[in-house]
Amino acid sequence: MSNQAQNTFLQLAKTAQTINETRGSNAKIKICAEYFKLLETDEDLQMAAQFLGEGAFSDVSGKRASVGSRTYSTLAADLCEIDYEKVFKPSKTATGSSSEVIEKLFTNIPESRAKWDPQHISLQEVKSIYDHLEEVSSRADKQEILTNAWIQMTPLEVKYFLRIMGRGSLRIGFESKSIVSAIAKAFKHKVDEVRYVHMLTGSIGKTTVLAQQDNLAEARFNLFQPIAFMLASPIESRAVDNYSNYVAEEKFDGMRCQIHIKGDNVKIFSRDLNDVTQSFPEIVEYFTERSLPEIVLDGEICVFKDDTILPFQLLQKRMGLKKPSKKVLQEYPTLLISYDILFYDGQPIFEKTLAERRTLLSELSSKFNFPITTQQHIRDKDHIDELFELALAHGNEGLMLKHRDSTYEYGQRRKSWLKVKKPGGSIDTIMMYAHAGSGKRGGTYSDFTLGVSVRDDERYEEEFIPIGKAYGGYTDEELKKMNAKIKEITAEKYGPTLGLLPEIVIELEFDDIQVNKRTKANFTLRFPRFKAIRWDLSPDDVDTLKDVEHLYKEKIDQERLSQKDQPSFIIG
Amino acid sequence: MLKITKAGNHGILLPQLSIGLDYSGKKADYVFVSHGHADHIPWKSYAKAVYATPPTKEFMIRRGTKYEVQELPFRESIETDKAKVTFYPAGHILGSAMTFVESDFGNLLYTGDYRTPASPATEGFELPDAEIDTFITEATFSLPVYKWPSYEELKADIMGFARSALEENYTPVFLAYNLGKAQEIMHLVKDLNHPVQIHGAGFKLCEVYDQEGIDLGNYETYNRDTCEGKILVCPSSAINNGFASNVRKKRITYCSGWAAMESRRSQLTVDKLIPISDHLDFFELISLCEHLQPKMTYITHTPNPNVVKHYLDERGIPSQSLYMEAEPND
Repeated sequence: MSNQAQNTFLQLAKTAQTINETRGSNAKIKICAEYFKLLETDEDLQMAAQFLGEGAFSDVSGKRASVGSRTYSTLAADLCEIDYEKVFKPSKTATGSSSEVIEKLFTNIPESRAKWDPQHISLQEVKSIYDHLEEVSSRADKQEILTNAWIQMTPLEVKYFLRIMGRGSLRIGFESKSIVSAIAKAFKHKVDEVRYVHMLTGSIGKTTVLAQQDNLAEARFNLFQPIAFMLASPIESRAVDNYSNYVAEEKFDGMRCQIHIKGDNVKIFSRDLNDVTQSFPEIVEYFTERSLPEIVLDGEICVFKDDTILPFQLLQKRMGLKKPSKKVLQEYPTLLISYDILFYDGQPIFEKTLAERRTLLSELSSKFNFPITTQQHIRDKDHIDELFELALAHGNEGLMLKHRDSTYEYGQRRKSWLKVKKPGGSIDTIMMYAHAGSGKRGGTYSDFTLGVSVRDDERYEEEFIPIGKAYGGYTDEELKKMNAKIKEITAEKYGPTLGLLPEIVIELEFDDIQVNKRTKANFTLRFPRFKAIRWDLSPDDVDTLKDVEHLYKEKIDQERLSQKDQPSFIIG
Repeated sequence: MLKITKAGNHGILLPQLSIGLDYSGKKADYVFVSHGHADHIPWKSYAKAVYATPPTKEFMIRRGTKYEVQELPFRESIETDKAKVTFYPAGHILGSAMTFVESDFGNLLYTGDYRTPASPATEGFELPDAEIDTFITEATFSLPVYKWPSYEELKADIMGFARSALEENYTPVFLAYNLGKAQEIMHLVKDLNHPVQIHGAGFKLCEVYDQEGIDLGNYETYNRDTCEGKILVCPSSAINNGFASNVRKKRITYCSGWAAMESRRSQLTVDKLIPISDHLDFFELISLCEHLQPKMTYITHTPNPNVVKHYLDERGIPSQSLYMEAEPND
């Protein structure tokens, strides 16, 4: 009986909750490893690891439950017989988490409790609920499935059911790195071996089963099954001792992708391992025409027109289009520029050094005529500045520095790949909300929602609207001073969040501005961070939403150096 | 009905009666202080007389109140020229009082901060035996996400936390506000017969509990050199400012109504969250209003008065937020 209970979803939810309530990553890893060891079948083990590490679906499946927060939140309000606008929304604002609100309301409200009949459903049953949700498309159908699922669960299960469905973090302080460690610990393997297999399979569930069966060596690279991408660290966070070990490439402001090719069969995968082949028919055609041998390339898709790489904002018009029209294809033609090769001659070549992979890539590029990045050996630090300026003149984001001896490994591998970027710009913003900090910043308000002015903007009734949330970039001294000021200007308190009177002006730096229709401002900033606290400025000096719109337009219309001389990439 | 003015940060004024409640403005002859927490003690007084229960007066003196305070024990009444005023136990902290005002304009009950069922380290909770015309209630936890576990569960959590930490050679640390919550924890853990050290700011207030006959067990003031292995009690701000930082093996629990929020765990880096509150929860608030059926309920001390109002509307109980300019019909 007790063994049987291990494969319930309740047991998984309880394990996740215990991990959440435990401090220290080793202790968390131990709890997860013990849990894995108690699961008896491969199916249960695979599902448990996937739920904890990836979500409702494996990353490579490309599937989504596609249930919006409004769909499940309004349903939860209905089940509790409470008003969504008047009761649910303020509760959500106070806790900041829909799944936590729903767990609490289902626990607290007698009208919802009466509907409950927990059944201790199994992991496999939950899996089929997610499958079922993926198959239907209307809100009514999804809500019906959710209702039937929820009434069989405890509120704790519902909370984790939602977090797993959302593919976001489970918010238990246990990310994929820790899961890999837990698998290694449970089944007595080296962490690096588990990592490698995870990269190959792209699935934490499969990796766990292979580890349990002692079959890690069996994991193989399969063409048309994407592997996890290698990522770069910001150069600011790493000390580089010897630049001559690195090569430089321009960092394109495009879309990272992996292309798998076998004769006429071509598939393109995005960074989150989704198949995006249909969106880029001209790229597929480009590569099929060239009759390449079986290969896998890593590179960047950009809009390329009149010998010029055009801004990312234009590429966005192509992303997500299942069947781009002729007009769109003509207006925003794309090109895939490769910079790495991962598979050749029937086998993966991640273990070869970058220099070796690059030699092979260059040979293939000249033989089959496809574009690859221009690569420069770095002479010294000044040389980097020179190359950086050229990259910016091309309209690119900056530089990638890659260690010549590095192998291809997924995730961020310390100093193997470094990115050098120029800040996208800065604006003066008003501090609107202060959020209690976490970890070593506990006890102070260290995260802030910042806003731009819409005082004279006929489209809005407010004075300020949020444009981004930022933390860090200030000294301990400055944080202390801000906290003292915040005490004086607090207008409202929502649990750990304070609503502030408009007084503190922050110069905010960011990487880029993007359109985001789901925000009040219609724009979001990428990587907003503090540049300076402007005690010298007043709320009247805060930049307006119109200023942000103007900056956005300027970025799109920026003059870009053509690729005729000193190009960022070469063909053949 | 009585007129009520919310005077910004100055508390509440009943202009017809010249009475102020937790009030520090210039327009009241008589001021009544609900309890000894800093956000309720008037920071100055222009009144002819300021009244508080004896324990509240003691807390005020220890927290630096300079003006003169008259003692008004629970259930005894003061008659002003226009009103009769009586304190009833509010169950929030020692000495905390609800203020009951009777006048020709009708009566009024101002809760201050309160908790029902009451904290065991207080004089209890008691309502005046009367139909209430005007009810001014705090609503700190005014959302249905707030429902406290039973007191038995909370007590078991608190005792279990201390016991298991001590058994495993860890020093248990309770993060608890230094007036009220700290003493409630001490009152509970005294049954473990283990020495307690409390942060200095809270220590000087414990004397009042001793005087009032609330048993806080075997305690002394915090001493960095001898604190290891004792049960420690301090406010959450102290733990990041060096409190017991020399004790490596310690377990920390945060004791507050806000501990009901998961996010507090990572914000404070604690081992355990115990949602024990000095305030009543949302459901207790609504059911108290249902029981009292006041002619008018004013909701204060909350960012979400409209949620409470919505629930009271559904139950046919008239209410409004005290943040709005309140001008009731009279």
